[in-house]
Amino acid sequence: MDADTAAPRRAETIAEIRQGVAAALPMMLGMIPAALVLGAQAAQKGFSVAEVPLLTGLNFAGGSEFAAVALWTSPPHILLIVAITLLINSRHILMGAALAPYLRHLPRRIVYPALFLMCDESWALALVDARRGGGFRLAHYLGLAVALYVTWVAFTALGGAIGPVFGDARSWGLDMAFPAIFLVLLRGFWTGAAAARPWLVSLVVAVAAYLLLPGAWYVAAGALSGLAAAFLLAGSEA
Amino acid sequence: MIHGTTLLTILLMASATYATRALGYTVLRGRTLSRRARVMMEAAPPCVLISVIAPAFASREPADLLALAITLLAASRLPMLATVLIGIASAGLLRHVLG
Repeated sequence: MDADTAAPRRAETIAEIRQGVAAALPMMLGMIPAALVLGAQAAQKGFSVAEVPLLTGLNFAGGSEFAAVALWTSPPHILLIVAITLLINSRHILMGAALAPYLRHLPRRIVYPALFLMCDESWALALVDARRGGGFRLAHYLGLAVALYVTWVAFTALGGAIGPVFGDARSWGLDMAFPAIFLVLLRGFWTGAAAARPWLVSLVVAVAAYLLLPGAWYVAAGALSGLAAAFLLAGSEA
Repeated sequence: MIHGTTLLTILLMASATYATRALGYTVLRGRTLSRRARVMMEAAPPCVLISVIAPAFASREPADLLALAITLLAASRLPMLATVLIGIASAGLLRHVLG
């Protein structure tokens, strides 16, 4: 690379990283209450100050971490927790597939490490950015994804450390942060009432399963029945 | 302090999660999906998300349900941070007011 083309390219990369961090900022702020609540709940279940960031830093998938902490016993049911983790995060398979067409210009040695940082938020932001016409911008993605990662790990760790000071998170209303975040994420998937019919099936089945079945089966029951509804509805309209 | 079983559980969880992240790209790269497969692919994330928060909808407390309705309304039109703050404030206040 020539010296006179390297400098502008570097400036462009830095600008893309900055844009990525800026795009992630509202989501970083939205993550903070959920991260604090998760850390505090994990501490309540006996996680040490080091174990909380170990979980959130290696796994980095909030939904499965909330589920794991909710299901946590001493000693933990390892198989149950890993199965629920797989189920909750199975959406990553579809998310990765949706992103794949935009990643063709990148070598696998770059894509595989970058995919470690793919969460609901970073995936949605990257896909929206890629669909704007400029394609997938790696520096932009890394900027937003690393910003989200650092926020999640740092604030879950903080929640684990200061959680016991707050006591019951419910009496502060902090537990509502999680549904609030998920509802805003859901709005991002909204394309009209017709496409959202499987969501209603998922919700009704998940609520029924939550009230009737032990453990966290409601996540599996709700997700699978919603997928079945999507399958049937897609067939009836073909 | 890090316990052996906790570490093992975390490592297995992390491996399972990373597998889900790498699989879609690995298997479906360069393939064209059927219309039905695409519809299901688009439905999967919202179906999982709404199932995970189902316990909030299953509450029997009027304060919780009212706060959830307010949060839902906020989520339909406001940005992330405002929705989270309104959700926390309404849940915290309504629980104190309605008991």
